[in-house]
Amino acid sequence: MDEKVLTQHFGVEGLFRIEVYLGQGGYKAVETALRQMTPAAVLDEVKRANLRGRGGAGFPAGVKWGFVPQNVPKPRYLCVNADEGEPGTFKDRYLMNHNPHLLLEGTIIASYAVGIHAAFIYIRGEYENVALRLEGAIAEAYRNGYLGKNILGTGFDLDVAVHRGAGAYICGEETALLESLEGKRGHPRLKPPFPASVGLFQSPTVINNVETLSNIPFIVQNGADWFIKKGLPKDGGTRIFGVSGMVKKPGIYELPLGTKLRTIIFDHAGGMKDGKQLKAVIPGGMSAPILRADEIDLPMDFDSLAGVGSMLGSAAVIVIDRETSMLDVLKAVAKFYSHESCGQCTPCRIGTAWINKIVKRLGRGEGEQDDIDSIIRLASNIKGKTLCPLGDAAALPILSICQKFRRELEGYLPHA
Amino acid sequence: MPRILIDDRVVEAAEGLTLLRAAESAGIPIPHFCHHPAFAPEGSCRMCLVEIEGYPKLELACSTAVKEGLKVRTISPKVVEARKGVLEFLLAEHPLDCPICDKAGECKLQDYFEEYGLFRSQFKEAKEKREKKFKLSRNLILDRERCILCTRCIRFLNEITKTEDAGILNRGIHSEVGIYESELIDNNYAGNLAQICPVGAITDSDFRFKTRVWFLESRKSICSLCSRGCNITIDSHPGQARTVRTRRVYRVRARQNPDVNFHWICDYGRYGYAYLDEGREDRLVWKKGDTETRLSWDKAAQILIEKVRSLVHLQKNSRMGVILHSNLTNEEFFLADRLFRKGLGIEKLFLADPPLGKGDGFLLTVDRTANRRGLQEVGLPLHDPDLKELSGLDLLLIFGHYLAAGTSPADLKGVLEKVETKALFASHKSGLDGLVDFIIPVPVLAEKDGTLTNIDGRVQPLIAGLDFDGDGVPEWRALLDLAKELKVEHKYFAPLASPKAVYRALQKEKPFFE
Repeated sequence: MDEKVLTQHFGVEGLFRIEVYLGQGGYKAVETALRQMTPAAVLDEVKRANLRGRGGAGFPAGVKWGFVPQNVPKPRYLCVNADEGEPGTFKDRYLMNHNPHLLLEGTIIASYAVGIHAAFIYIRGEYENVALRLEGAIAEAYRNGYLGKNILGTGFDLDVAVHRGAGAYICGEETALLESLEGKRGHPRLKPPFPASVGLFQSPTVINNVETLSNIPFIVQNGADWFIKKGLPKDGGTRIFGVSGMVKKPGIYELPLGTKLRTIIFDHAGGMKDGKQLKAVIPGGMSAPILRADEIDLPMDFDSLAGVGSMLGSAAVIVIDRETSMLDVLKAVAKFYSHESCGQCTPCRIGTAWINKIVKRLGRGEGEQDDIDSIIRLASNIKGKTLCPLGDAAALPILSICQKFRRELEGYLPHA
Repeated sequence: MPRILIDDRVVEAAEGLTLLRAAESAGIPIPHFCHHPAFAPEGSCRMCLVEIEGYPKLELACSTAVKEGLKVRTISPKVVEARKGVLEFLLAEHPLDCPICDKAGECKLQDYFEEYGLFRSQFKEAKEKREKKFKLSRNLILDRERCILCTRCIRFLNEITKTEDAGILNRGIHSEVGIYESELIDNNYAGNLAQICPVGAITDSDFRFKTRVWFLESRKSICSLCSRGCNITIDSHPGQARTVRTRRVYRVRARQNPDVNFHWICDYGRYGYAYLDEGREDRLVWKKGDTETRLSWDKAAQILIEKVRSLVHLQKNSRMGVILHSNLTNEEFFLADRLFRKGLGIEKLFLADPPLGKGDGFLLTVDRTANRRGLQEVGLPLHDPDLKELSGLDLLLIFGHYLAAGTSPADLKGVLEKVETKALFASHKSGLDGLVDFIIPVPVLAEKDGTLTNIDGRVQPLIAGLDFDGDGVPEWRALLDLAKELKVEHKYFAPLASPKAVYRALQKEKPFFE
C-alpha cells in the first residue's frame, strides 16, 4: 500500500474539495517550487526524475519542457491532454475525479518551470461530470490564490481553463488537439515543427498527459532520487494500470513501473473471473500489440514491452479469456480505428476502412482464403506511412492479432 | 549550398528547399498528389515518401528540408512498395470511370498507376457510394467518388483567394470536400480549381464531355483580355479535314510564371476564349457599291499604295488618317510610328479601344487591352477619335473594330460617308463592316508572333498559340509591305522581315526595351 503515490489519498472523503486537499498536504509543492526554487531548478529536478509521458508515447517530460524556447516574443502555453480516448483507458478520469487539485498543482508547477501563464485542460467531451469537477476545483484554486495573478505573492501569474472536446479519438493526438483547441477541425499537423516551438496559436506549447502532470508535485516535494526509487532508473515513478476485461476485480492499480504483468492480473486484479482461462492480454490500451497468455511474465515498463514488440502505452491492461473469439476482438479493433480515422491521409483513411470491410465480411462467414494475408499486407502498408501515430495505432494491434492468432482466425474461413 | 545525394547523384540545393523541389530541379521526379508549389506542405497523400539513410521511417519529400549530406533514395524497394500501397488504397475506393472522365489523359492517378502501379486489384469489397455531380460553383462540378482528398482546392481557397469557401466534412472514409449549404464558390479565380485538381474530381462544365484531352493541341500564349499579361496555354483542336468543322479552342489554362501570374489566371481570362473562334473576319473584300470583290492581300495592298502615293504626290498627307488600338504588339506600334507618323507625316492618329472594366485587385486589371503600356513606351502619340476630324478625309486606315462599339451607328455612318477611301484591318466582324471599302482580316494576338508589354512594364514574348487562317495578314506584315512598296525610309525598312528583326530595331531606339 505504501508504494502508492498518485492515488494514496483516494480514500479520503471529499478529496476533490480544496480544504480537504490542503488538509492532506496539498499545494505544498506549489509553495516549495514557487518560493524556494528557480524555474530552472524545477526543470532540472523533473529531468533528473526520468518522468516519462503517461499518455502513451513515453517521451521524457523534462526533456519536452526543455525544448520550449525561452527567448521568443510569443506567449507560451501548456495544454493538459485529458482527452483520454484510448479504449481500455480510464486512469485519467479517476485521477481528475478524485484528485483534481493534484492535476492543478502539477499544472502550476509545470507552468512555472517553463514560464507559462496560460494553460488549457482539453478534456474529452464524454467526461462531462469530470469537466464540471475540474471547473469547480479551478474556481477554488483561484479563490485560494493558487491561480490567477501573483500566485502566493510570488509574482507568478497563471490562468487555467477547461475545454471540452467533441468526441473524436484523433483529438488525443497532440497536434490534432491543438487544432481542435484553436477551433478548427481536429486534423493532426505535419511535424516538424514540433509543438514545443510552434504549437497552440503558433506559439511554443507544452502538451502533457494528466497522469504525467499529477506526478510533478511529488517530484518537487520528494526529489528526483525518491521518484526514481519508486520506479526504475530510466523510467521513474509509479504507473496507474487500468485493468479491464475478464478479471475478478477490474479497476485502477497504482504500482511501481516494472511490476510483472502476471502479478497485475493475478495478484492485484484477483485473477480470471469465474474460472475462465487466460488467452491474451492487450497491455497498453487498444493500440498496443496483443500478447499471448505465455508472454505475460514480463515487467511492465516502456523498454520491456518494446522488447517484445508491444508497448506500455497508456498502461490499460485488457484481459481476454479463452471463450472470447479473436475475430470479435479483431472486429472491435478494426471497427474502432476505421471509425476514428480522421480521414486526412490516404493509408489510414482508406486502409482502416478496407480492413474493416474485410473483417466484417469474415464475421458474416463470407471470408476468402487470402483474406488474412490481405489484412496483413494492408496493415503493413499503413504501418509507418501515415501522417500521425493513429496509423500505427491501428496497424500494430491488427497485425499482432492476425499473426499470433492466425490459426484461430482461419477457423472462421469457409472450408474449401 | 548544401549538397545531398539523391539516388547516388550529387545534387546541390538551397538550404530550406524541400527534397521534392531539389530532386525535381535535378530532373528526378517524385510522384505526389497533394503537394502544390504554391501552397504550404500538406503531407496527406503520402505518395512522395522517400527513404533517407539513417531515418527509421520513410520521410515526406514534400516537407523534408534539404540538409547537408542527406542520402535520399527515391526508387528503393521500400519506396516503390509504399507508392504501390498508396496507389492501391486510392484506387480501391476510386470509381475507375476513366472512359467518361474528362481528366483521363492528364490525370495524375492514371499516370502514376502506369508508372508506379500496374498491379491487379485485390479489392473485393463494396465501394463507398458518393455524390457524382455536386455543384461547387457556376462552372465547377465535384465528383466525390473520384476525389482523393488532396485538399488542393480547399487550400487554394484558403491561401490564394482567402475566401475559405470549402472544407472537409465528415470523418475517415466518409470524409468529403464540401462548401457552405446553398452558397456556391463565387470568385473570379474558381476556374483554377479544375486545373489544380490532380484527378477528375473537379471538372469544368465549360469543358465537360466536350472532347478528349489527347485530341487537343496545347500551345503557349499570353492572355490578351486585360493588361496583366498572364501566361497561358491554349488547348485547341485543329479541325478535321473530312468535316466542315474548323479549328476550335476548347480551353485556356494558366501557365506558371512566378513574376506575373504565379500558377493562376482569372475566370474572365479562362472562360473568355470564345472570341478566338467566333465572329471572326475571314474574307478579304473590296466593296464598290453593292458588289463585293474577294481580293488577295497583295492586290488590296497595291490599291491602297496607289491611293497613298497619289495623296503624297499631291501633298495631301494631312488628308490621311489612321485609327489604332492597344491590342497590337510592341513591334506593330513601332512600325506604325515609323510609317505613319515619321514616314508619311500623318497627324491624324487616333486610338479606339474597348471600354475599361472592373479590376479585381489580384490579376485582372481595369484596362481590358493587352498592350497599352507598350504603346506608351513606344511613344506613339494617339488621341481619342473626334468624328469631326475624320470627316472629309481622303484615306482612313482603321485598325480594330472597337470604333463601332464606342460610337452611335448613325453618327459613324454620317462621318465615314464623307471619307473617300476607308480600309478596315479587323479580326472580328462589327458594325464597321458595312461602312468601309476594304475589309482586311487580321489575326488576334493569340495568333501572332511578337512581344507585349504588361501593366508592370514586363515585356513578354508572344508566340502564335493558334494558326491564323483568314485571307489577310498580321498587321506587322501589312505595315512592312506598305512601307516597303511606298519606299518610305527605304533603308530603314528594307532589312526588316520578321517581328524579331523589328524588335531588335525597336531595342536600338527605345532604351526601355533593352
